[in-house]
Amino acid sequence: MKKLIYRFALLAALLVLMNWIYGTFFFKNDLLKHSDEIQLTWDVVKDSCVLVYTGESSNMTFSWYDTDRRKISDFVFDHFPNLRCGDISKAASHAEVYYYLLENIPESAPVETVIVTMNLRSFGYGWIESELETPIQKQLVLLKDYPPLFNRFKLAFKAYDMSTTQERSKRRAYHRNNDVLTFPYEFPYRTNFEWDYATNVKGIYNDDGTRNQALTTMAIAYIQNYAFQISDDNPRVKDFDNIVKLAQKRGWNLIFNILAENVEQAQELVGNDLVFLMRQNRDYLVNRYGDIENVTIVDNLEAVEDKYFVDRDFTTEHYTEVGRRRIGDNVAQAVKIYYY
Amino acid sequence: MLFNSIEYVIFLPIVVMLFYLLPHRFRWMMLLVASCTFYMWFVPEYILILLVTIIIDYSAGILMEKHADNHILKRRYFRISIISTCLVLFIFKYLGFVNDNIVALCQALNLNVNTTVDLILPIGLSFHTFQSMSYVIEVYRGNQKAERNFGIYSLYVMFFPQLVTGPIERPGNLLRQLHEEKTFDYDNISKGFRLIIFGLFIKMVVADNVGAYVDMIYAEPSKYNSWDIILGMFFYSFQIYGDFFGYSTIALGSAKLMGFNITDNFNTPYLAKSIAEFWHRWHISLSTWFRDYVYFPLGGSHVKFGRWAFNIMVVFVLSGIWHGAAWNFLIWGAAHGMLHIVEKAILNHLPEKENRGKLEKIIVDAFKIAKTFLLVTLFWSLFRATSFANISDLFTSLVNNFNAGEHLGIENSIWIYLGLFILLDVLLFNNRFDKWCDNRPTVVRWTIYFILIFMIIACSSVNNFPFIYFQF
Repeated sequence: MKKLIYRFALLAALLVLMNWIYGTFFFKNDLLKHSDEIQLTWDVVKDSCVLVYTGESSNMTFSWYDTDRRKISDFVFDHFPNLRCGDISKAASHAEVYYYLLENIPESAPVETVIVTMNLRSFGYGWIESELETPIQKQLVLLKDYPPLFNRFKLAFKAYDMSTTQERSKRRAYHRNNDVLTFPYEFPYRTNFEWDYATNVKGIYNDDGTRNQALTTMAIAYIQNYAFQISDDNPRVKDFDNIVKLAQKRGWNLIFNILAENVEQAQELVGNDLVFLMRQNRDYLVNRYGDIENVTIVDNLEAVEDKYFVDRDFTTEHYTEVGRRRIGDNVAQAVKIYYY
Repeated sequence: MLFNSIEYVIFLPIVVMLFYLLPHRFRWMMLLVASCTFYMWFVPEYILILLVTIIIDYSAGILMEKHADNHILKRRYFRISIISTCLVLFIFKYLGFVNDNIVALCQALNLNVNTTVDLILPIGLSFHTFQSMSYVIEVYRGNQKAERNFGIYSLYVMFFPQLVTGPIERPGNLLRQLHEEKTFDYDNISKGFRLIIFGLFIKMVVADNVGAYVDMIYAEPSKYNSWDIILGMFFYSFQIYGDFFGYSTIALGSAKLMGFNITDNFNTPYLAKSIAEFWHRWHISLSTWFRDYVYFPLGGSHVKFGRWAFNIMVVFVLSGIWHGAAWNFLIWGAAHGMLHIVEKAILNHLPEKENRGKLEKIIVDAFKIAKTFLLVTLFWSLFRATSFANISDLFTSLVNNFNAGEHLGIENSIWIYLGLFILLDVLLFNNRFDKWCDNRPTVVRWTIYFILIFMIIACSSVNNFPFIYFQF
């Protein structure tokens, strides 16, 4: 047994040496290979940015009719010509991704203010258990704050949430079937699934009495994506809490940008009940984070009208130039508090 | 639970620790619980199928022994057991295949038949049913006493290191060891550890890294240049070898940690000089199973050439469909059988020249090894292809794309992993990694551990490649 303990001690010493070798010669390449979004963080650090914008596809999607196809972040940065600004945006990202990308900014970096996109839809289980989540979880492994060799070990031995498409689909269905929706008034449907099912059965009809399948499908998409209520145990809330803690630790000003949703179309296709839930979720976020020191909430939920949304066949937060500019201007007003 | 998963990294040390901490009489219970946990980690319900096989074969063993003097009754229990076990295998593995072929045949004859069978194959079914059958056959033959302890018999079928992908154990080896009292021995821990890291290296660093390129080639052969298709075919030879040899080596190591010696499944198969020798070195536990329970009862080689050829074809075709319920596996098995017969026929007419010079012998042996490896590689394409259309696409592109198609863009590191693997394989000729290490100085041994562990962590593929033989 003594021999075994001695050997384990030697093995432990070798692991320390391995960690050094891996961290020095291999880690950077692996990061670029398996977690390529880290390049965005490195660029922000390299450019000594003071103002940082984090976001997902809402930041970069544009309409082909736009005359100015720049990002929301660019419209924000327009207001601060004297500040060094940078953006960390990657499609399909969410708060957990933002957290690890921001955590990788060294403490010595001159970052002062961080704008974090708060996408209402990302709090729903349709997104939390999306099929993209497994590759995202895989990409995050190397970004975590552990010794590089330990992170690589976790990646090699698949020590991350690598749920299959079927498992995620099952979990999505579970939440749709079991998360009870509560209204301060009588409401006929108990869950997201019941509501979605009833809407499908009922359908949306044209003036000539024929069923409009496209609009019915869209109405269902709205219910599936927005008919939920954010609670304290929502995984995304925990991620935003972590971002707040990180910002407090680093002394950053934090601006949460609640993205605009197509409330107008939601009301038209589904009705006031869904808008009630969307507003209730917005209020939850405003109440949870609005009173924290150095945290500002920019409420853009209803800032963009239906005509300024790009996608017409699914619920997204992709805006035309007017929409992006409007959100950018609103965020900029909040940033100005810290600089003027 | 996969051997290359974090769950197993936690599970195995706990089981080994508990094994040595518990008194001998409780160890089998703990191992049985551990084995059930291990198996149920995949799909819990499948354990019921295992349970059915275990109950049937356990009861048959006792009944056959009880009626050892009544040959008719003994044979009846034997048949019931074998037929029931084969029936389980048939229903879950072959029924869908048979149904699809009958439907296709009926449709070709313009008969309106459209039945479907949609059963999921329980993991490792072919392995544990064969292990169960070997117990029943040995008891029937009187070579093995029937096991009275239901728990220990269950553990014989379910012993977690070899439960899902073998090696297919015989009762004479494993069942006997399950009764033996094992004492803590540093040597076993050391050898087990060596085997595990070696197995993980060949699975995670070699097989999984080349596997990514193999997938690209077989997904869309027509997209690639002929040289890259050839490379992809060679890569698959190393992928399947690394994958299965890796699994078997980890199984061996895991069992060794607790003092159990399970059967070696591989012995440098790509250094075989003939197809016959290849099958003495590849998946040894399956080859010997077919040899002992099919080939010998059919008459083996002590018959005329024609009958021998028939025996060989039966064994190889069965071996082919053992792997999978599809025509490509059957053809793959038959191709190996035919080649084996052709080789033997040639050897019968062209006997080995004796008194060769040393250099001449090396050259001739190298030629034979290369010939066997090329043929095996060629046949692996039947094994790997997803359909006949895929095979056809692969070979059409191989012939036509010498001046067309994309290149795979293989990373330089792949050549290092493959080179290291081939070097180790040559060094391990007729030897096993743990034994080979025994003869090295401590510094060399620890340097090898260091390199292997480092490569497992830092160079392994991050893609999720399940063990290929899991599907069987």
